[in-house]
Amino acid sequence: MNRNRPLAAAIALAVAASLAVAAPASAATITMSGSTSVAPLTTKLAKAFVNQPQYKGKVKFVILQGGSDIGITDVSRGRVTLGMSSRDPKPADPGGIVFNKVARDAVCVVTNSSNPIATLSQTQIQDIFSGRVRSWSQVPGANASGPIDLVVRTAASGTQDAFQNIFMGLTLRVAGSATTKASNGLQAQTIKSDPNAIGYASFSFTAGLHVVPYQGVPCTLRNAKSGQYAGTRNFYFVSRGAAKGVAKEFINFARNNPTAKRLVASDWVPLS
Amino acid sequence: MEAGGIAARATGGFWSDAKVERILGAVACIVLALIVGMIIFVFQKAWPSFAHNGLAWFGSGGDLDLQLEDIFASPANPADYVYTLRAWPLLWGTFAVTAGAVLIGAVFSLLAAIFIVEFAPARVNRVLEPVVRLLAAVPSVVYGLIGILVIVPWVGEHLISLEREESVANVVQLSGACLGVGVVILTVMIVPIMIAIVVDALRAVPRSWTEGAAALGVNRWRVMWTISVHTARPAVVAAAVLSTARALGEAIMLSMVAGSASFAPNPIDGLTFLFEPTRPLASALVENVEGLSVVPFGETLFAFAAVLLVSSMFLSLAGFAAKQSMRKYGVRP
Repeated sequence: MNRNRPLAAAIALAVAASLAVAAPASAATITMSGSTSVAPLTTKLAKAFVNQPQYKGKVKFVILQGGSDIGITDVSRGRVTLGMSSRDPKPADPGGIVFNKVARDAVCVVTNSSNPIATLSQTQIQDIFSGRVRSWSQVPGANASGPIDLVVRTAASGTQDAFQNIFMGLTLRVAGSATTKASNGLQAQTIKSDPNAIGYASFSFTAGLHVVPYQGVPCTLRNAKSGQYAGTRNFYFVSRGAAKGVAKEFINFARNNPTAKRLVASDWVPLS
Repeated sequence: MEAGGIAARATGGFWSDAKVERILGAVACIVLALIVGMIIFVFQKAWPSFAHNGLAWFGSGGDLDLQLEDIFASPANPADYVYTLRAWPLLWGTFAVTAGAVLIGAVFSLLAAIFIVEFAPARVNRVLEPVVRLLAAVPSVVYGLIGILVIVPWVGEHLISLEREESVANVVQLSGACLGVGVVILTVMIVPIMIAIVVDALRAVPRSWTEGAAALGVNRWRVMWTISVHTARPAVVAAAVLSTARALGEAIMLSMVAGSASFAPNPIDGLTFLFEPTRPLASALVENVEGLSVVPFGETLFAFAAVLLVSSMFLSLAGFAAKQSMRKYGVRP
C-alpha cells in the first residue's frame, strides 16, 4: 500500500493544480479550431479582444489548428466554441452550423521566379489549369519552355476550394494530371524547385515565388482591399447555431471594432 | 530472515504470482481486444465505399484525383453521397514502390551482409556496423526533406529531358518527383534493417559447417554462397517481409518525393516509367486526412486504411511462417 502513496499524492496535486487554474471560473473560455490560414488572424484578434477594458480578465482563448474541415466538424459536434474556416459552406457540411464571415483573403496565381509572367486572364488561367493549354510556348509572356507543370492542393484544402470557385467556376476542373500537394509549404517548395511549375496560394504564402497579376491587376493587399483584384475568398468563424454570449461578442468585435479592423488590414482584407 | 523474505515474496504479498498472472493476462487481453476492435471499426467505416463500387473498387478507370474531388463535394443528402472510386493507381503505386525497393534492397543487403560477416577487416566493421544501425534510426521525414530539397530538383533538371517530358505531357507531368526517386530513397530506408537481420543470421551459421567446407579447399566466397547464404535463406525472406511492412506503411517520405499524383506508372513507357509520378495508399491517406469530416470522403479513406490493414496482416503471417522455417535450421531470427 505504501508504494501507492506517492502516486496518490501526485494525483491529488494534479487535481488541486487544475482546480487552481480553473479558479477564476468567472472567466469565459472561447475554444477554437480549424483552418491554418485563418489561425494567424484569429490569434491577433483574440489578443486584442482580451485587452479590451470590458473583457480584461474575463475571457480566455484556446486556439487549435488543423484545417477548415476539422474546425467545421469540431464545432458541429460541440467540441469547440467556434470553428475557423477558409472555405465557403458546402452542401455536405453538418447541419445546424452558421458561417460568420469575418474577413477576406487574396488567392494569387504563382509561378517559379524564373518565369515572371506579366499577366493572365481568367480564360488563360482556366485553359492552363484545365489542361487545354499544356505548353509554356502557348502562353504569351512566359520565359519557361516545355510542358506546364500544374502544382495544386488536395481536394480537402480550403485554398483549393477557393481557387475552384474564384478562377475555374462551376463546370471546369483542374486537370487530373496535376500534382496535388497536402500543404501550402510542400506546394510552394515544389513550385520553387521546378521552373515549369504554376500553382496558386494564399497571399501570405507567396514569398519567394513570382505572383502573377490577374487580369492585369497585381495580387497585392492594396488591390485586394480596393476591390480591383478579383481573386479573394472569405474567412469564417463557424458557430453551432447562431453564436451566443461571448462568442457572439467576439464575432461582432472582429467585424466592427476599429482596432480589429486595423489588425485585419495588416495582412488580410477587412469586410467592407 | 533472508530466506523468509524470499519465501514471502514467492508465495504471498501484494505481487503474488497468481495475481501477477491475472494482471498480465488482462493486459494481454486488452491488447487483443484493441486489435480486434480496430479491425472491426475500420471495416465498418470502410464498408460503404466497398459496397458501392463492388470489385471495381480495385480496378482502374477515370481519374482518381477527380473522383476524390467528387466524393469530397458530395451533396448533403446521404442517399446522394458519391462513392465512385477506382483505386488501381494507388494499389499499383504501392506495389511498384514497395516491390522495387524490397527487391533492390534484398540483393544489396545480402551482398553487404556477406561483406560485413566474412570479408570486412575488423577495423572497417567497427565503423560500418554502428553506421548501419544509425541509418536504421533516421526518421523518414528527414529522408523526405533531403529528397524534396536535393534529389527531386536534381532529377528534374538533369535526368528528365525535355523530349521525354513532352512525350507524355498530355497524360502526366514529369517534374522530378517520381517512382524512381521514391524507390531509391525507400531502398536506403529499409536496407539497414535488412542488413542487420541478414548479418545476424549469417553469424548464426555453425562455424563447423563453414570450416568444414574451407578445409576441403573451397574459397571464402564459395563457402559463403553455398553454405552460409543457403542456410540463412529464411532470414533473407524474413528481412524482406519485415522491410516490406515498413515500406508499405511509409507515407510521409513518399508523399514528398514520389510525385503526389494518383497515376499508375506504365511499364510499357520504357525508361520513362521510372520518371512517372505515383502515390501509394498510405500517402493518399495522409494527404487527404483533412477531409475526414465529409462522411463519404472519410469512408473512402477508411477503405484505403482497410486495404493497408489486410496487406500488413498477410505480411505478418508471411513473416511468422518465415520465422518458423528459420527455427527448423536452428537459426535465431
